[in-house]
Amino acid sequence: MFVQMAWRNIWRNPRRTTVILIAVVIGVWSMIFLGALMRGMVDGMIKNGISTLTGHIQIHHEGYRKDPVIDNSMLDVDKLDAVLTEVLPEGAKYAKRIRVNTIASNARHSAGLTLVGIEPEKEKGISFIGEGVVEGRLLKPDEKRGIIIGKALLDKFETKIGRKLLIMTQDTQNEIASKSFKIVGVFRAEMEATEKNFVFISLKSAKKLVKLNDGISEVSISLAERGMEGEVAEKLNAQLGSTGLKAETWKELIPMLRAYLEIFDGFMYIWYLVVFTAMGFGIVNTTLMAVFERMREFGLLKALGMKPSWILRGVLTESLFLLVLGAFLGNVLGFIFTYATAQTGIDLSALAAGAEAWGLSRTLIPVVVLKDVFMANFMVVVLGMVVSAYPAVKAARFTPVEAMMMN
Amino acid sequence: MNIVQVKEVKKTYIQGKVEVYALRGVSLDIKKGGFAALAGPSGSGKTTLLNIIGGLDLPDSGDVAVDGSSFSGMSQADLAKMRLNKIGFVFQAYNLIPVLSAVENVEFVMLLQGLDKVERRQRAKDVLDDVGLEGKYDRRPAELSGGQQQRVAVARAIVSNPSIVLADEPTANLDSKTGNGLLEMMKEMNEKKSVTFIFSTHDDMVMDYARRLVQIRDGEIADDIVK
Amino acid sequence: MPIDITMAWRNIWRNPRRTLLTVAAIGFASTALVFMLSFQFGVYDTMINSSVNIHAGHLQIQAKGYKEKMAMRYAVADPVRMGNLLNGIDDVKSYTYRAEGFSMLSSSDRTYGVLVTGIDPDKEKQVSTIKSLVRKGEYLSSSNAYEALVGSLLAANLKVGIGDEITILGQAKDGSVAASVVTVKGIFTSGIDEFDRSTVQIPLKTFQEVYSMDGAVHRVVVVCKSLKSVSMVKAALAEDISGIDEKYELKVFDWMEIMPGLLQSIQMDLISGFIMYIILVIVVAFSILNTFLMAVFERTREFGVLMAIGAEPGRIMKLLLIESITMTSIGIFLGMALGSVFSLYFQKHGIDFTGASEIMNQMGISGLMYPKLTLLSLFTGPMAVLFITSVAALYPALKVKSLRPVEAISYN
Repeated sequence: MFVQMAWRNIWRNPRRTTVILIAVVIGVWSMIFLGALMRGMVDGMIKNGISTLTGHIQIHHEGYRKDPVIDNSMLDVDKLDAVLTEVLPEGAKYAKRIRVNTIASNARHSAGLTLVGIEPEKEKGISFIGEGVVEGRLLKPDEKRGIIIGKALLDKFETKIGRKLLIMTQDTQNEIASKSFKIVGVFRAEMEATEKNFVFISLKSAKKLVKLNDGISEVSISLAERGMEGEVAEKLNAQLGSTGLKAETWKELIPMLRAYLEIFDGFMYIWYLVVFTAMGFGIVNTTLMAVFERMREFGLLKALGMKPSWILRGVLTESLFLLVLGAFLGNVLGFIFTYATAQTGIDLSALAAGAEAWGLSRTLIPVVVLKDVFMANFMVVVLGMVVSAYPAVKAARFTPVEAMMMN
Repeated sequence: MNIVQVKEVKKTYIQGKVEVYALRGVSLDIKKGGFAALAGPSGSGKTTLLNIIGGLDLPDSGDVAVDGSSFSGMSQADLAKMRLNKIGFVFQAYNLIPVLSAVENVEFVMLLQGLDKVERRQRAKDVLDDVGLEGKYDRRPAELSGGQQQRVAVARAIVSNPSIVLADEPTANLDSKTGNGLLEMMKEMNEKKSVTFIFSTHDDMVMDYARRLVQIRDGEIADDIVK
Repeated sequence: MPIDITMAWRNIWRNPRRTLLTVAAIGFASTALVFMLSFQFGVYDTMINSSVNIHAGHLQIQAKGYKEKMAMRYAVADPVRMGNLLNGIDDVKSYTYRAEGFSMLSSSDRTYGVLVTGIDPDKEKQVSTIKSLVRKGEYLSSSNAYEALVGSLLAANLKVGIGDEITILGQAKDGSVAASVVTVKGIFTSGIDEFDRSTVQIPLKTFQEVYSMDGAVHRVVVVCKSLKSVSMVKAALAEDISGIDEKYELKVFDWMEIMPGLLQSIQMDLISGFIMYIILVIVVAFSILNTFLMAVFERTREFGVLMAIGAEPGRIMKLLLIESITMTSIGIFLGMALGSVFSLYFQKHGIDFTGASEIMNQMGISGLMYPKLTLLSLFTGPMAVLFITSVAALYPALKVKSLRPVEAISYN
């Protein structure tokens, strides 16, 4: 009875109900859709950060992060392999690397950059370099003199595939080691900075260059899915124990991203609240109008012996219908928009330099996060009910006489 | 001289899916200075006729002329101008603009006519005095009794010396004593200022006051008595 | 007061509760918009200023090709001539010369590849704020000493302190080997990680000697009297240098060309901000549309009477529009006042964002953030609200236009 009455009541004035419904729908739609876009932005940043040689987890010598030099390398690779094989869950991959600061130069140019010795076939699925080579060829595992450089660096150095590049770095004996490499491949990355800052050689030739017999400077681990990394890192650390090695998740490795994620949650919910407030005024006002118009009716119902609490419940049920219907339509619209834009993504290349400054990809793909969807709906429906309490209480308080006297 | 000429007026309404004849060919002349009542039960068509005479509504066929001007072919804007200058209205209830005081309500018509402020104010006060509302100029409608509100409505209707004043059940919401007073006042205006009044009513008291009584039934004139 | 305004004003207060809620909705949106826009503008200002002041300047004169390739040969051969030109332009506040060369920096136990910059200490301190950012030691003293100013993160990487020696090994302009030893004179912290990790400055004369620059520089960095005068100075300068015959053609770049990432990240933030603001305004418009609608439907009979006594529909429409615009204006005015108060308060006291310092450092902002109330941030949002709500008010007002007197009067 209540439910039917409430449903019919909200459609007594279809125009007014439609107007407020539109306000709720647009509000919820924007929460879902813009929320997904913003999440997509952050997600893109995280993915970028992870695939730019970070991975979900990295293992280093405990001194390496503060002082990333070849002295702080991990020497007992066999033990490390054993631990990794034991701890890593199914679907996880890992790759070993040597990472050193170097100076690269050719006849005309020189620049400081990071030289990474990799196991080429193992990087697939862990970092962008596994699939990033667009010209020339990939490194071979036993590559001796081949080097892969980024497209942006290639242009900056006015060089091309087949030319030489001189690499200088500090070796384990604190001497300057230098060696000439031949450019065999060119890679592209999401961000120009990546293309400018990294060059790749095989792990084997890197070891030889820095005179590191069997050590490596890092292990990068990629899990089947993001979310498990904290747990896995903990297990790894327990196993690694006193070896002087340490596993860290991307959140620890790129603290900026973690900070972003944190203020982002706050920012998003403030935005939800602002939009809700904008529609909240309309909800209160519209419900008030509906209530005052029906004062006589409420008086009559009371005269018939209806308890005030029933009237309160009736008005609240009407609001609930309105809010749930609006939220539902808003969700549907929001998901349709999200789905449609997710097909191709939004092209940010017109603002590529800006996107790069934020650490974004060139294409923005929206990402739906359940927590946000829940929060948006919760806020609209629950807070909507809270503000509707005011007109509902007003309605419950009309005395029959007062109500009949109106008009 | 006939101030109102109604010729063969027909009007139908669509009510739901049924066509309802409101007027089935009514012809009627009313003389200047008349005090006439259109009487009949509700649904007889008397209010429709009154609305058509007032230019609020247009007939499907036939013609209406007030003070020699025929309504046929007039646009809504022309009709508005016609109402503004030649016709005064008094309705059953809610006649007044609630946010304006008594004197402002009366002034409003003259304001639409473009009269200057000093003249407006003076004439409005004079007319309010005539209808017996001295000293109540600045009251808002909510602060006036039902009878007083109707007096303001009459004052507003006659202030610009219209050719006719149309009153739709003006006493229906009043007790008989107040209604009587209102009618007495209108009669006085009719006699002193020779304002033409046409009522639509089913109130016996109004019929008693009227000098001409036109009975309307089922959209036709059933009887027309000049007392 | 004209009767229309009087009537509109009285009509607005016929239902004070409804009006207050409507005004509050408009006021809320306006307040939020004024504050958020002021905040954004303030952040942009900080971002631009910190980049401009620490390093980039408003304008730079470079040889064509240097910006892209940064090769030593693309040099400005006669910087003093540029200086004389700049002295003749009114809106130029200060300028300095810089030369740069990529080199290997070695301390006793570390080696890093870094861009070494040669600066003129006297001129540089009028252009850049680095002098005030020196945390340890002192600023460079003379233009030809063998000393260096090092960013704090680079100093940490090299494991050097004040008084330690750094060996510089690079390639000179003529292709020969450039080598020298300098002493660390000062260590600075700008708060911008990237800058603190990759900056080492030595006196310009020293640089020119070590790198065989033959008096040439790579950048002439110009600071104008205000951000507004930048384009004017740029045009004047471009004309002045167009006739100069140097080996490499000279070019003037403004800060937007020097730091395209900065400009575009501002644009991107503005665009996403505007999308949000527009949606907020539309939600508010629908929220208050019912008030405008009710103002019409409740009073249909009243309009009928007005029409009966001769008022034309246009007149009634005008009355309704005056009512809704008055209501909106009150809300907007309150919103602008409140928004200004909030913005000005935080403009004075700052908003603490230290919890997000990693992000701030990357964007070139440090510590507190200050909103900046400008005419633009004060008016843009509220005017958008006024525009959209006026459109919303038009719909019910237009309904009146098609209203027929008989229908209006018999409206329940």
